[in-house]
Amino acid sequence: MLELKGITKIFNAGTVNENIVLRDINLKVDEGDFISIIGSNGAGKSTLLNVIAGVYPADRGTILLDGRDITRVPEHERARFIGRVFQDPMKGTAPSMTIEENLAIAYCRNARRTLKWGLNNKLREEFRQKLAETGLGLENRLNYKVKLLSGGQRQALTLIIATMVKPKLLLLDEHTAALDPSTARLINNLTEKIVLHKGITTLMITHNMEHAIKMGNRLIMMDKGQIILDIKDSDKTSLTVNELVGMFEQAAHRKFDEDRAMLRVSSS
Amino acid sequence: MWLFGLIITSLEQGLVFGIMALGVYITFKVLDFPDLTVDGSFPLGAAVASIMIFNGGNPFLALCLATAAGIAAGCITGFLNTRGKITGLLASILTMTALYSINLRIMGRANVTLLNAKTIFTYIEEWGVPYKWVFITLFVIAAFLIKVLLDCFLKTQIGFALRATGDNPEMARANGINTDTMKILGLSLSNGLVALSGALVAQYQGFADIGMGIGTIVAGLASVIIGEMMLGERSICMATFATLMGSFIYRLSIGIALRLGFAATDLKLLTTVLVIIALSTPKIRNLLRSTSSTASS
Repeated sequence: MLELKGITKIFNAGTVNENIVLRDINLKVDEGDFISIIGSNGAGKSTLLNVIAGVYPADRGTILLDGRDITRVPEHERARFIGRVFQDPMKGTAPSMTIEENLAIAYCRNARRTLKWGLNNKLREEFRQKLAETGLGLENRLNYKVKLLSGGQRQALTLIIATMVKPKLLLLDEHTAALDPSTARLINNLTEKIVLHKGITTLMITHNMEHAIKMGNRLIMMDKGQIILDIKDSDKTSLTVNELVGMFEQAAHRKFDEDRAMLRVSSS
Repeated sequence: MWLFGLIITSLEQGLVFGIMALGVYITFKVLDFPDLTVDGSFPLGAAVASIMIFNGGNPFLALCLATAAGIAAGCITGFLNTRGKITGLLASILTMTALYSINLRIMGRANVTLLNAKTIFTYIEEWGVPYKWVFITLFVIAAFLIKVLLDCFLKTQIGFALRATGDNPEMARANGINTDTMKILGLSLSNGLVALSGALVAQYQGFADIGMGIGTIVAGLASVIIGEMMLGERSICMATFATLMGSFIYRLSIGIALRLGFAATDLKLLTTVLVIIALSTPKIRNLLRSTSSTASS
């Protein structure tokens, strides 16, 4: 459903600071895939998601979504079929607007916005049910401003916003990295619940190797702008952290250095 | 009795300039865009309306055309910012400066007097409203009608998109909102209201002057901030009401200052001081609170 062909992204091209962040990336994502992406800092993971989302254009290569070439489609138009959750809980919601207004914005993601009322009681009821499913107690706070919520509550809300209208593709950029361990667990559970229940094709960046192994049906490891490992289905189910470290060393031709790689081995 | 007169005058001015302040509310509070275009679009509205009325045109049509001219001015700032990638502040200063020449072209001279012309107020008087109440009647209706329409607009799907663009543009784009279009829309609406206000003020004071736009943005900001300080911003309905209220308080304080013997030429300085006090009061209050709490502990 998503196909990347020869995607290359260079920052500051032609200057002394030239930085090739993505090198000729080829990736074929199947319908319903839940892919976790790991890799050290500077491996190009976030850039990959940003190029897919259209935050900045690819310098070379094409992106196909359901057979349609979206390489030149602007970010806000891609957003109609691509949902995103960011690492920073502040990024995914409008803080001075209420919970229900945030959800109402997501509700119109795929439709033409008009001068109809943004909210009505039928929508409020629908939102209340959706929020009740998260178990965060937000369903009785529809008219609270989002800036009053905690980071975890905001991330849960962002997850609901991103999947309100079922996206063709969901991009999660370390969406639990800024949260404390127990909240992170809660958001991970919610992520699995929503993704599996709705069958949303998902790409998820994580720094946590155990999460990467446990969640999803496919694991991709990136290093220096390239995909160096792509492990699927049954191979992934039986994978252990130690095996993964070994595979990294073999593929990247260097020792796995935890500090340098910033890959957390324990689930903390 | 002079106090009653002062309050009525301040109400009239507060409401008619309040329409301008509502425009500033859209850019400053909703869009989070520092828009100085208003210093040019306010006299633009006045120029368009007064030259039409001076030449015997229909004053209602003149108001419509003045508003349209303001919308166009806002559009230009929006295009400079979104397509031309010029920062908001600079884009609006460019439009404002260009408008100075355009306004002179429209009027053909530095000021146009409407003393014997048939203005919108002449019509209202002909409908049987006593002269004393003509201004206040029209301004109450116009300001509150616009306030309610604005409240309603900000609660529509497009209104939500506009607010999200100002609140968190990244989130807006991630939800399929074209933030560039929304900025242009907000700036147009805002400057349309500012020009309408300018057109009404010209007829109210009986002349349009090339210099009447100087300090418009500061007066608008003063209204928004004073209102916010007094009534808070719990809801949109409340915030727009607070803006009109702030505009009234602002005009009242100017009236009192004049009464105290300040020259009219000192008013810009006074306004600036007022805005500085209003902007820094919450910070000073917090500072005092934190020093007193550390002192007591």
